[in-house]
Amino acid sequence: MLIPFSMKNCFQLLCNLKAPAAGFKNRVKSGLILQSISSDVYQNLAVEDWIHDHMNLEGKPVLFLWRNSPSIVIGRHQNPWQECNLNLMREEGIKLARRRSGGGTVYHDMGNINLTFFTTKKKYDRMQNLKLVVRALNAVQPQLDVQTTKRCDLLLDGQFKISGTASKIGRTTAYHHCTLLCSTNRTFLSSLLKSPYQGIRSNATASIPSIVKNLLEKDPTLTCEVLMNAIATEYAAYYQIDNHINLINPTDETLFPGINNKAKELQTWEWIYGKTPKFSINTSFNVLYEQSHLEIKIFIGIKGGRIEICNIEAPDHWLPLEICDKLNSSFIGSKFCPNEITMLTNILHRTCPEDDELHSKWNILCEKIKGIM
Amino acid sequence: MALRAVRSVRAAACSLRVASAPAAPCLMRPWGLRAGAVPTLGTGSTLLSVLGISNFAQEALGDVVYCSLPEVGTKLNKQDEFGALESVKAASELNSPLSGEVTEINEALAENPGLVNKSCYEDGWLIKIALSDPSELDELMSKEAYEKYIKSIEG
Repeated sequence: MLIPFSMKNCFQLLCNLKAPAAGFKNRVKSGLILQSISSDVYQNLAVEDWIHDHMNLEGKPVLFLWRNSPSIVIGRHQNPWQECNLNLMREEGIKLARRRSGGGTVYHDMGNINLTFFTTKKKYDRMQNLKLVVRALNAVQPQLDVQTTKRCDLLLDGQFKISGTASKIGRTTAYHHCTLLCSTNRTFLSSLLKSPYQGIRSNATASIPSIVKNLLEKDPTLTCEVLMNAIATEYAAYYQIDNHINLINPTDETLFPGINNKAKELQTWEWIYGKTPKFSINTSFNVLYEQSHLEIKIFIGIKGGRIEICNIEAPDHWLPLEICDKLNSSFIGSKFCPNEITMLTNILHRTCPEDDELHSKWNILCEKIKGIM
Repeated sequence: MALRAVRSVRAAACSLRVASAPAAPCLMRPWGLRAGAVPTLGTGSTLLSVLGISNFAQEALGDVVYCSLPEVGTKLNKQDEFGALESVKAASELNSPLSGEVTEINEALAENPGLVNKSCYEDGWLIKIALSDPSELDELMSKEAYEKYIKSIEG
């Protein structure tokens, strides 16, 4: 049953969670089911951060249900260049977010349900949560063949991944979140999660690709709404709490003081790209210039999302070494980002204002370099 | 994650390498981090501490696949999150048991994060910090108290 979450209810519930009444702790079964009214990935991730940082979950677990408009979410220690097609994402307006939990890269759209199970560190148990999800699915459709795996995936019919898991453990609290594919755009998912970037060397955590399927394809009654309700019901039964889904607005500062700053931080370039573990790109590309093919070799070292080492090698007859060196040193320190390169190229042009031929060569190079970003 | 802190007595003429072989009784804290205080060469007044995780913590974590450590020069307050260890189980926060400035990080962990599991007390150390408040060492749990604590939470 969906209940619009009034301010008064919110305060009561959240205050109760923060400061449990003495003496009641062991006698009153408590817990909370929340559902976000927002489909903004950054706002929803901020809710997770907020609950993790501010709620006292002793004896009071929380389930958070959320869905996002088309976004790609990478794990805390991943490399987005390795994991997804950033060019395609920019063209299609797909957001990129880095979450604080570990694990691999996922594509979210409104056909995917995200479930976050918040507990104390002691009560952290991913398998328990996943078994709860399986029970909920079977409550709706008893014939459904869904199993958990050792990797904490959920498999449909023994072969199709319908859910992936990631977690974060803090000092006293922990959360386990997982996806659930109901009616996601699978074709789009596949093309977005295929990185076109060559020659990357990195020790970032890598995703394990899997064949996926939507639950709706198996059974048309398994819509997102039906499944969210079923999971909430099962959660309420398990923890013996009221089966109420409380709708929350993740931008509400009275409910979640400080949450908008958390959402802002998640959107910064420094967090999304700057937190990428150190990596390098060693590749080459061909340039067609006046009917001849030229091979350009590139070695770029990137730390904190910024270019630390830049070695672009072009044939000397096409681009003199000193000019090439000028290009290389101008890139050092800049963000590994197409907009920065455009800006740098413009600055370079101004250093040799009349040399049209040089400008055109620099433009060719920079376009190619932007293509690997 | 359980924390363990190890303190060695200030000894004359110790080099930084001795950090991994503390001489004195161990002091610990329930966060799975181990701190070994070692005098720096030359200054005599700055205590350095080596932080790592305890055996209990590395077992609980499972195989570590990535170590996220702070930059050298980062200033930490007690209980500040200074990094994370990602394992098959989760991304686990690393919280500092002591206040100070990061002087060195274990670069070997970039290529070989499994050292944290294989050798948590030796090669799998995480960071070294120059303590800004050595009295904090007194607040850390003793080895016996730590072991008692672990038994109580495991049971």
